[in-house]
Amino acid sequence: MICTQCGERSASVIVKKQQLGQVMELQLCHICAAENHSINIAFEQDPLAIHQLLSNWFPNSQATISRPKKEVAICPSCGFTFSHFLKLGKFGCASCYDTFSSQLNEIFKRFHNGNTEHTGKIPASYGSTLKIKKEIEKLRKQMQVSIQEEEFEEAARLRDEVKRLNVTLEGGSPDGS
Amino acid sequence: MAVERFLQPRASSWMANDGSNVDIAMSTRIRLARNLNDFKFPYAFTEDEALKVDKEISSVLLDKGSELDYTFSHINIDELAQLQKEVLVEKHLISPYLMNSYHPGSVLLSENEELSIMVNEEDHLRIQSLQSGFQLQKAYQIASELDTLLEKNLSYAFHEKYGYLTSCPTNVGTGMRASVMLHLPALTMSHQIQRIIPAISRLGMVVRGIYGEGSEALGNVYQISNQLTLGKSEYEILQDLENMTEQIIQQERKAREAILLNSPLMLEDRVYRSLGVLTHSRLLTTEEAATCLSDVRLGIDLKMIQNMNMSILNELMIFMQPAFLQQYADKPLQPKERDFARAKLFRERLNKIDMNSEGEDLA
Ligand SMILES: [Zn+2]
Ligand SMILES: [Zn+2]
Repeated sequence: MICTQCGERSASVIVKKQQLGQVMELQLCHICAAENHSINIAFEQDPLAIHQLLSNWFPNSQATISRPKKEVAICPSCGFTFSHFLKLGKFGCASCYDTFSSQLNEIFKRFHNGNTEHTGKIPASYGSTLKIKKEIEKLRKQMQVSIQEEEFEEAARLRDEVKRLNVTLEGGSPDGS
Repeated sequence: MAVERFLQPRASSWMANDGSNVDIAMSTRIRLARNLNDFKFPYAFTEDEALKVDKEISSVLLDKGSELDYTFSHINIDELAQLQKEVLVEKHLISPYLMNSYHPGSVLLSENEELSIMVNEEDHLRIQSLQSGFQLQKAYQIASELDTLLEKNLSYAFHEKYGYLTSCPTNVGTGMRASVMLHLPALTMSHQIQRIIPAISRLGMVVRGIYGEGSEALGNVYQISNQLTLGKSEYEILQDLENMTEQIIQQERKAREAILLNSPLMLEDRVYRSLGVLTHSRLLTTEEAATCLSDVRLGIDLKMIQNMNMSILNELMIFMQPAFLQQYADKPLQPKERDFARAKLFRERLNKIDMNSEGEDLA
């Protein structure tokens, strides 16, 4: 591989540049790379060329996983189709997430080591309800474990806790006042 | 114009040489990606929407920044000359992506340059918090406080299951990328780095040299960051990265001791040759400057070189870049001319006796 800039030395550095939404790949020798890009630490480049990965996983129409139920899922808000999303590797809007949701678990699993659900910070405006829902989910899981381990007292305690949270969720106050 | 102060070759606070383990961990960065609910994301929105997004976000920051004791300067990217944009990129205050963006975008910068909020980058909002040294928790806390302030006044795109919604599937969830810049000359010299990098990658973290994936790191500077943003909380992500970074720092210290023990004279020779190059050469390429800076840094850490201020080396890493040099010279420079200007810059900064850690004008 010869450096695309000087055409002399052999290329040792591959630089991915994003321009006008296109990803360009430059193969540069270390000298041209140093001149060109200096010491700009690529702070904010995609870890990998996402769209390339996606198109490798979903080569054209021979998807390795099932296509959306309706063959042409179109996001009602931004107009992105699933194949446009794959090609670009990017979502067009928040509604895309619901439109393509049947496909996303598979994709997120690959990018996030098998994970598909957010467990971090929650905006205060979504806060209280969502926090309670997540708490209930967590308690239910713990309850299952307790039952399996035949710790029935603990399971009963967890069940009451879930009940209490459900009441809170429905707008009531937990102690009935 | 608001941008002028940020273009000066003055040190940002994150270039200062403080914070823990600063001899190896040079700087820490947290980035949070956020989008507004009522607008299409930057890959799909119209110019008109882009302007509205910018207005919504910047008005919140300009009005309410004072609640957190920040004064922000709002800079429209379109209004900058190419060279000015490049200087901001070289200072890590904007991303190359924003510099090349074809729709209206802006950046809001805090006075001390620790916070930089990019508007209409790949997401509507990219909150970036920079700290000197190894300070993941502090950098996150600052970013998160600002995030909370913004969220009170804006409607974020957030999903019960997926968390913060982002343009790219690699950012969804926490939207957080945390990174630490590490100077690892001894691990590089002893070729141990090739062994360490794949191990880190297997643990869901990414190591990058200056040129990106798979390339040799210029100046032995590596960036390590989290890859996952789903399934782990911010706290867990930071914890994992912190543990990993601490281990690498220990490995680097061990490697330094081993080199010092086995070939002290060779190491000393290398350090002083590099110091000679930096303080006396007449032509200095980026690559040579980066390599020599790395050696001299190591020499200071190992107490071979006394009386040299490390923060000046941090500044030089930034100011030796092409856009800065051209702005300093106030004219476009050909590569050879840049090498000359770079050598001159190093001689002036390093041979000056009373060195000012606050950074001062280059003249
Ligand atoms: Zn070349
Ligand atoms: Zn959409």
